[in-house]
Amino acid sequence: MNKRPLILTVAVVFGFFAIALRLVDIMLLNHERFSEKARVQQLKKEPIPVKRGIIFDRRGRELAINLDTESIYCDPFDIKGPNDTANILSGVITQNSDVILTKLTGDKRFNWIERKLAVQSTQKIRDLKLNGIGFVPEVKRYYPKGELASQVIGYVDIDNNGLEGIEQRYDKYLGVRNEKTRVLRDAKGNILSDGFNKEIRGNNLVLTIDEGLQYILEKNIEDAVLRWRAASATAIIMNPHTGEILAMASIPTFDLNKPSEASAHQRRNRAVTDCYEPGSTFKIIIGSAALEEGIVSPEKKYDCSAGYIEVGGRRIKDAHRHGVLAFREVIQKSSNVGSIKIGLSLGKEKVYEYIRRFGFGEKSGIDLAGEVSGLVRPLERWSGMSIGSISIGQEIAVTPLQVLRAYSVIANGGFLVKPHVVSEIRSPDGSVLFKTIPEQKRILSEKTVNTFREILKTVTEDGGTATGAAVEGNQVAGKTGTAQLMDTKTKRYSKDKFVSSFVGFVPADNPKMAMIVVVHEPKGQIYGGVVAGPVFKKIASESLSYLNIPRDDSEEKGLLLVSGKVYQ
Amino acid sequence: MTQRYDRVILLTAVLLILIGLMAVYSSTSVISPDVVKKYREKGIEASQFDFIRRQMFTVFLGIVSMFAAYKIRLEYLKRLAVPLLIVSLFCLLLVFTKLGISGGGAKRWIKVWPSTFQPSELVKLTMVVFLAWFISRTGYGKNKFLSFAVPVAIMGVFQGIFIMQPDFGAVMSLGLLTILILFLSGTRLRYLLSLGIVGLPVIVKLILEPYRWKRVLAFLDPWKDPQGSGFQLVQSFIALGSGGFEGVGLGESKQKLSFLPEVHTDFIFSLIGEELGFIGATAVVFLFLVLFMKGVSIAKKMSDPFSYYLCFGISIMIAIQAVVNFAVVTGMVPTKGLPLPFVSYGGSSLIVNMTAIGLLLNVSKTAGRSWSGPKVYEYAKLNNESRIISSGHQRQEPGALKWQRGYGYRWCQNQRRKDLQQSETLNFGR
Repeated sequence: MNKRPLILTVAVVFGFFAIALRLVDIMLLNHERFSEKARVQQLKKEPIPVKRGIIFDRRGRELAINLDTESIYCDPFDIKGPNDTANILSGVITQNSDVILTKLTGDKRFNWIERKLAVQSTQKIRDLKLNGIGFVPEVKRYYPKGELASQVIGYVDIDNNGLEGIEQRYDKYLGVRNEKTRVLRDAKGNILSDGFNKEIRGNNLVLTIDEGLQYILEKNIEDAVLRWRAASATAIIMNPHTGEILAMASIPTFDLNKPSEASAHQRRNRAVTDCYEPGSTFKIIIGSAALEEGIVSPEKKYDCSAGYIEVGGRRIKDAHRHGVLAFREVIQKSSNVGSIKIGLSLGKEKVYEYIRRFGFGEKSGIDLAGEVSGLVRPLERWSGMSIGSISIGQEIAVTPLQVLRAYSVIANGGFLVKPHVVSEIRSPDGSVLFKTIPEQKRILSEKTVNTFREILKTVTEDGGTATGAAVEGNQVAGKTGTAQLMDTKTKRYSKDKFVSSFVGFVPADNPKMAMIVVVHEPKGQIYGGVVAGPVFKKIASESLSYLNIPRDDSEEKGLLLVSGKVYQ
Repeated sequence: MTQRYDRVILLTAVLLILIGLMAVYSSTSVISPDVVKKYREKGIEASQFDFIRRQMFTVFLGIVSMFAAYKIRLEYLKRLAVPLLIVSLFCLLLVFTKLGISGGGAKRWIKVWPSTFQPSELVKLTMVVFLAWFISRTGYGKNKFLSFAVPVAIMGVFQGIFIMQPDFGAVMSLGLLTILILFLSGTRLRYLLSLGIVGLPVIVKLILEPYRWKRVLAFLDPWKDPQGSGFQLVQSFIALGSGGFEGVGLGESKQKLSFLPEVHTDFIFSLIGEELGFIGATAVVFLFLVLFMKGVSIAKKMSDPFSYYLCFGISIMIAIQAVVNFAVVTGMVPTKGLPLPFVSYGGSSLIVNMTAIGLLLNVSKTAGRSWSGPKVYEYAKLNNESRIISSGHQRQEPGALKWQRGYGYRWCQNQRRKDLQQSETLNFGR
């Protein structure tokens, strides 16, 4: 029998069998390994042009939007005549041809030439049909209001990563960068994912900031800085009941569309990042603590006729010599001697407890980047004179926001609120993803609050320290503060550098807004009642009319809710 | 009584062609943005149906050709064996004329309006037909040197032309095909071995050509230069490997996005592996195995040598093309430009292989019955005078006239093989 057909058949079948074994090896045993290799080469990490979410103010006005731009890049490999190309390009974009030339002759095959140009100017370049020049559509962040609320909103870098303020704090909501960053590409580097051409939008933010109030605030504190030739000023308006920040500003400020031209000094959001010694505004802590603990009544008398008091070897004076003052007058006239006497009768444990209870020495928890907690020394590190200093707002560092929050407790009936600037996060299609729920914690009894509110009202009345802060038509409750700045060279309190502040709320009996104004290093006048009080008054009266809040004696009182769309 | 053609062969071939159409469509429907741009500059809008439309037209031509091959009388085919070989030689030489078209540094195609044709594909089939005719000739002797030398010389001529093109894949596949069929016919092993000894230096010389040597090196270690010479093989591995057991899904291949060169032609099996996974890939391998085994089993039922060698030869031709293609894409042999029969995009290969299937079906009609050609007579020498001792026609039963490989026609009457060898019968015409 001829065996050759059999041999041949077996050989071919063996060949098929070998192929099958090889397939088992490649496709089943090495599946993971090759899949990983496939993933690496097929999916390329491409920054997808994410349209960041739009930032709206509380009434839906746009504070941060996006512009469609194009970036141009070059592939030095494909450039024909780098010198000519550089010369041609320098005619269209504002760059030196030498600078362009170094980019055109780089080692890498991808070099940016200019990022985020307006589409009109890239069209000009495209019409030139230059070899090795490519275009990438990119989205540029644009702030239509320029300087408005610049420190609060913050800005982004060239790749749209949030760097400051809300842009940083809410980066992951605005940017959705983590989604779909890998796109399908072919071997030539062409992007083929459908997702790449689709627009990916970040979530929109609705702020508690009111553009109108923000404008009023910024304009007035800027005027104050100019008038008093101050180093800086900061002010906040907050809804005392909910902790919503209605406006927050610091001067000097900067244009959000040109963040690189601004100094760190301008970019700082002083309302939450700067600490200062609060001075007399801090007397609210001692006063309300004493009332809450029941060791004083409004009419309890304190002898301040000496004009000074010695605590732990340090002599602290009053600004003017007073006689015997009732408790309410101690606050009204801001007597240091009276306050220290109250502080001493409370004892340092109680004082410390109330400082912490009002939220000093810890972050308020506002949703802004860079907030500091201030400085409150732990009890065991208090010196003999600490109780005296702290009673009048020295030896302690606080942020303007912390002080405002403390006064809101009096305004809202005894609750410590959590300040916030973002009220809602909305998906691109408009549905609400997140809504801030106001947090509050009772820290004072209603009785104490009501009593103390009456006392604070007298501050802006005749005989008070801040008659200049009184608003026509609506009663203001508040407190002045004038603190000496520590001279960094001599480590002593400076004789000519002060921080003047006024903090209060209005209308006093039905507060719609709590506000703090802090002016650093005013020249000429130093007292809070003179420097900051009138600024408060101006902002408050403009804001009240902007918000359509009727006068206290108005018949329209019942219609207060008309402004409900602002305050809900 | 006419017998039915073999349905398994037809079904297998149709399945493979359908898988091929699917894979070709998948691999060519996503057009690279670069190509779209290039076409647009010429004023042509690239369509995802460009390739599949052509391939379907080719399938139509293939069906016509297959039907013709199915209907042709084997007697005519036998007479056409030599003319066909000459025609294919002529076609092959046309490559070097103005009609020739170069691609990738090689002249392998001729212009046939509206498309191109690759004569080397035709040569494979005509060589099989020629060998079947040549071996079945009465003058063929397995121990005769001339019976060995003539086919080898013809093979050599064709291979010489292939080298000039150059088309190394065709050189190897034609050589393998010829030698296997000669081996089958019973040619002395020492002839075949001596051919190997003579041919080896030539092969070595050819392999040492720089670009081929690079391919060999790339085959030995594709990961050494995955971006250069090893690129295609590495990409093929990635395609197959990422397919896994179930595949990434029909049309979901990512490797077709310009990663895998020649994905719609020589490397289409990688795409099938990626999209349909191990299941799909082994199914394709299995279909080719079925085709081969069925072809062999039909060949065994053949009662005449021409049909036998034609059938076996075609089975081998398709099987080695498939196995070599599988071996190339799975990195078991160095890269060669060989398409996968029925599946790869490309007209010449598809038409030629479909014609071959037509011939196979044609031959399969006669399986299981005796030689149905012209009447055959068996002579016996009696008193120095040839006499007709029997005549055979259609019936085949024990004791009927039978054709035996290596012996020619003889009367078999349930005798044992040993007895047959000693019998007085003579070979036809001798």
